[in-house]
Amino acid sequence: MKKIIINIFILITFLIIYFLQLNFFSWFKIAGAMPNLFVILVFYIGLFSGRSMGLTYGILFGIVLDLLVGENVGMTAIMLGITGIIGGVLDKNFSKDSRITILIMVVGSTIIYEVGMYVLRYAILHSSIELISFCKILLAEVVFNVFITIILYPLIQKTGHSIENEYKGSKILTRYF
Amino acid sequence: MYKDKKSGILGIFVTVVILIILVLLTNTENNNLTAFENAASRLATPIQNGLTYLKNKVNGNNSFFTDINNLQTENEELKKKNSELEQELRKLETIKTENQSLKEYLSLTEKYADYKTLPADVINRDISNYSKTIVINVGTKNEVKEGMTVVGDKGLVGYIISATDNTAKVQTIVDTASSVSSLMSTSRDPIVCKGTLDGSSTLKAMYIPTEAQIIQGDSIETSGIGGIYPKGIHIGNVQRVVNTNNSIDRYAIIETAVNFQKLESVLVVTNH
Repeated sequence: MKKIIINIFILITFLIIYFLQLNFFSWFKIAGAMPNLFVILVFYIGLFSGRSMGLTYGILFGIVLDLLVGENVGMTAIMLGITGIIGGVLDKNFSKDSRITILIMVVGSTIIYEVGMYVLRYAILHSSIELISFCKILLAEVVFNVFITIILYPLIQKTGHSIENEYKGSKILTRYF
Repeated sequence: MYKDKKSGILGIFVTVVILIILVLLTNTENNNLTAFENAASRLATPIQNGLTYLKNKVNGNNSFFTDINNLQTENEELKKKNSELEQELRKLETIKTENQSLKEYLSLTEKYADYKTLPADVINRDISNYSKTIVINVGTKNEVKEGMTVVGDKGLVGYIISATDNTAKVQTIVDTASSVSSLMSTSRDPIVCKGTLDGSSTLKAMYIPTEAQIIQGDSIETSGIGGIYPKGIHIGNVQRVVNTNNSIDRYAIIETAVNFQKLESVLVVTNH
């Protein structure tokens, strides 16, 4: 029962983020770049509920986004899926009770996601390469994501713990250290 | 978890404030000094106004209480009138916006009279920082198909990459994956216009023939080669030419005629 509630919660969060990205962040920008909240969401799912959930939701959200606004179906799905897996892998290596580690992990996953997307866009759509402009936009996006993670940190902690308890139960190692 | 709840809330508050300041700072134009001046005057004006008001009050103290009854009735009348006028204004506003969009459609259709066109509104923009696709509110039900050209009020917008029943996705010409075969209108030299990441309304003109003369301000139009875009649609004007050591890889920056940030209504060319 609780698992169903958690899944509904995740889906509603996805919808909220989608409309935020489309409307609010289309003008609330840092140096012309908007944040990527989907990366934070998928990473968070992977981190707190495991690799398979991260992968599943990453691919699901990616396909939905590709169908709604993407240029072709698959690219966002692949990269969000990878982000989910990264979240699941990092789960065992880092403490989730520290704000700094969460921030560093968000920075890392945002960079991996965007660089991956850029490479895929180049390989599939033959987009032109402009490394300096890309780095500028990426930097602004990472800064934006960091700010949002700091603001949402208490929420991430609280909901994350309840999700973790439900999905991993007694297997949580980090609690004992 | 935060060790201290108070400092946690304070931290979030500070972050929100910094975020808002960052957004405001990075979005203002380059004349930073005037921005500061404005902020200072904005702070000072209410205080100044208040002081002036107080001074006037003290000066005109005698007549303040005399005609309070008259003022009350007048006030009520004015309020009534005001609400009527406001209602009127709202009606006019609606008519104005309607008029504007109709005019836009009309001028668009007149411009592209040779082509059969279908008006559409932009309903979605891309949520990624690196691609620039838009979604419009016509689809296969309106006989819109993949590969059709989309134009705006002043020039080329892009082409349709996929269509559902009621919507269609348009890859704009400023997208980094887009390249348009085009011509310089005076010298008729062929070039290729590619989308760039910097700026929402600039293109990079590449593969310029070595003997070609590029004139600043020259207008660029589609060449019709490649089969996606019909020939002769205006794209934009040459903003500047960047010369490199080797004349083979020199390029030009083109400013698009369409303002992609404010793009609201477009036309789909259905009979190319």
